[in-house]
Amino acid sequence: MVTLRLEGIAKTFPNGTVALSGVDLVLAPGRVHGLLGANGAGKSTLIKILAGALAPTAGTIRRDDAVVRWSSPRGAKAAGVATIYQHIPLVPTLSALENILLDEGGWRRRRADARARIAALVASLGNPFPLDTPVGDLPIGARQMVAITQALASGAEVVVMDEPTASLAGHERARVYETIRRLAAEGKAVLFVSHFIDEIMALTDEVTVLRDGRTVLHAETAGLEPQAIAAAIAGRSVTALERPAVARTPGAPVLELRDVASPGKLAPTSLTLRAGEVLGLAGTLGSGRSELLHAIFGADPAATGAVLLDGAPVGRWPDEAVAAGIALVPEDRARQGYVPLLTLAENIALPRPTGLLLDAEADRVAADAAIARLAIKAPGADALPGELSGGNAQKVVIAKWLAPTTRVLLLDEPTAGIDIGARTDILRLVRSLADDGLPVILVSSEFEELLAICDRLLVLRDGAVIGEADPATSTESDLILMTGGGAPLGAAA
Amino acid sequence: MTDWRRIFSLREAGVYYALLLLLGVLAALAAARGLPLYLSGQNLGNIAYQASLVGIMGVAMTVMLITGAFDLSVASVAALAAAVLVGLAGQIGFVPAAFAALAVAATIGLINGAIVQFVGINAFIVTLGTLTAVRGLVLILTDGRSLMVEQPQVLAQMLAFESTRVPLFWPLLALGAALVVLGLAKRRPFVAVGGAVLGALALVAGAGFNVAAPVVYLAGFTALLWFVLGFTVIGRRLYAVGGNPEAARLSGINVHAYRLGAFVLSSVAAGFAGVLFGCRLGAINPTALQGTELTVIAAAILGGTSLFGGAGSVVKTVVGALLLFTLTNGFNILNLGANYQGLIEGIVVVAAAAIYTLGAERRRARPAASEPTPVEVAA
Repeated sequence: MVTLRLEGIAKTFPNGTVALSGVDLVLAPGRVHGLLGANGAGKSTLIKILAGALAPTAGTIRRDDAVVRWSSPRGAKAAGVATIYQHIPLVPTLSALENILLDEGGWRRRRADARARIAALVASLGNPFPLDTPVGDLPIGARQMVAITQALASGAEVVVMDEPTASLAGHERARVYETIRRLAAEGKAVLFVSHFIDEIMALTDEVTVLRDGRTVLHAETAGLEPQAIAAAIAGRSVTALERPAVARTPGAPVLELRDVASPGKLAPTSLTLRAGEVLGLAGTLGSGRSELLHAIFGADPAATGAVLLDGAPVGRWPDEAVAAGIALVPEDRARQGYVPLLTLAENIALPRPTGLLLDAEADRVAADAAIARLAIKAPGADALPGELSGGNAQKVVIAKWLAPTTRVLLLDEPTAGIDIGARTDILRLVRSLADDGLPVILVSSEFEELLAICDRLLVLRDGAVIGEADPATSTESDLILMTGGGAPLGAAA
Repeated sequence: MTDWRRIFSLREAGVYYALLLLLGVLAALAAARGLPLYLSGQNLGNIAYQASLVGIMGVAMTVMLITGAFDLSVASVAALAAAVLVGLAGQIGFVPAAFAALAVAATIGLINGAIVQFVGINAFIVTLGTLTAVRGLVLILTDGRSLMVEQPQVLAQMLAFESTRVPLFWPLLALGAALVVLGLAKRRPFVAVGGAVLGALALVAGAGFNVAAPVVYLAGFTALLWFVLGFTVIGRRLYAVGGNPEAARLSGINVHAYRLGAFVLSSVAAGFAGVLFGCRLGAINPTALQGTELTVIAAAILGGTSLFGGAGSVVKTVVGALLLFTLTNGFNILNLGANYQGLIEGIVVVAAAAIYTLGAERRRARPAASEPTPVEVAA
């Protein structure tokens, strides 16, 4: 029975980013503490500090009454704090049992007593899984259980769970809830991080909401309304964009989707996109928003259904989509967006079919124009994208598609992890492109952005479009409730 | 703005320095021992001739490595092409037999590439398999014995294709001058320095300087790929495919086609090297060229090509091949004891890789305000 108290925890990164500025949190035995916050609110930083992956720049952590410090995952484990991440770091080729025993000492690989101990532990958790199956062959829900068992086997008294249900299907979620309740009943302290307000309402005893690195709400769950949580998450508006007073009238239909689907990831979706229209897709990670963009772009080989551009079907490979004029700015700019060893000018010219010979001069002129138009802060067109800040690298990825050949622009989280100045630049650009007649589909976790610049909003959850919201009349809280399932669908429409 | 210090750094230009240093040391040693002039046109031409087959395969291997794949089967494919050439030339004539050999090689490249790209097996494993299987095919075709071309006039044709001497003094001088002018005009210092070195080489070698035909084939092939990589959209896309395949795919580049093309190119180059090898003697021994694939890869690594894809230069690979064969040549001429040769070559390759890796780390450490990783900002 251990109580963990975080007092005034702050974290400032060397580059000046303030991730946390004085957060208090109490994890008490037998209680499930829910932690919420929008992207960038500081949740991940707080979890990393608890896990020992980051050291706080100020504040203390008390275990019962003693002040404890740790600066490595091993130290956190020794203090009885176990963290279970959304993407579970297990060795896929070892059996579940061996993964659980990975940090045990000794020299013998197979020990009957260890096996019996783990088997008893697994039985007590109530969600049995085969101990000898390689983890890579287990379904994702069972892997989650392996991670939880691993945490408990190493003697954890405090269990931190970072969005454990984000990648799970409904019945698997129910099992995780059940296990969390058992943990609490046994006297463990649980910190449960989630985007889903309905989960938080159903599962937790108390709730903390972070915003901009501060605690903005801390209360017993029993006395809270979902709307109050959503309002605390949303807070003030940071976007310097104002919706125009008059609604814009979109032009002729450009892009049409007919039952576009991807098995296991996206339910059949049909929609029509008109010239000059910005269509927003609101949803949490794993809700099918990126999957829909990839299916349109032909980047998902398993996708089915028809994509029509001006009534003509588009091929089902990215090169055909690009040739037809569909452009995708992917979610992860470093992994999917740019080639790190090519210069800005070369990256920007990459998708353009410029014939056989390179025209370095034309590429440089185009790159200089893009650098000026997007206000990219770079030493020059010869710089490498990895040398730029996140916002500027993102602008480079967008600049790849600012050619007249682009007929439809798909943007996947274009403002994730970038500073507010670059964010505003990018949103202004999107709006002005749309005003010039380019249809845009915009995915963002920043719902205020969607509300500010979209003409139409679709809400996704669990791989399907579950409703439509009117951006002129909806609030951020409405969207949080719809995507997080805390309100009846359509309430905000 | 031209970054001179970077362009002439050990990491960027180390292989050139190493070759010049080695030539200087060997020349000094030869002079000290009272041997004939080491830096003679004839000896330099010999080194280039000995390096030509590995160079041709190495240049194609560089393109392969740039796309992020790997080909271990080149030496076996070259031996197969030589066997096909020698086996068929007597019946259908030299030129048709040479084309048949290239077609067989291209087919194996296509098989390699298709298995890697469409079945999804690692290139190392696939080409390790074809390395063994194709060598087995050579043994089957030759029935384990040496083959040779019996018809004298076909044989003469083949020898002519391989061992014609090409006078190079004036072309080399002209090319050197042209490169100097081009390099100065375009502010590409390396091109200018390279031109000056070529011109100096021609003057050192003397007006009677000539080389065997394979050296000219190597130069032509290298120039072609240097042009394609540096000045065409295909080249840029090859670098993109290796540098970040997912970004390339999402930019609308057909990654499969580029990788497949690299496999075919590698095998065709190996086939051409095999044709040259077959022409050299008009005969083929079933174990010919065994182990050469490792020399080819060593040349590319000496030239600074990354095994992770996205970076590499065909010219530097050729210099890497020249470096390896200069070592061999030096050991022979100076009679330094062939037993030490393998040890020294191995050390040179690892030292080169160490220089490239350490240089890359220092370069990576320099930009201080790098991207705030999503880990830090997104919560």
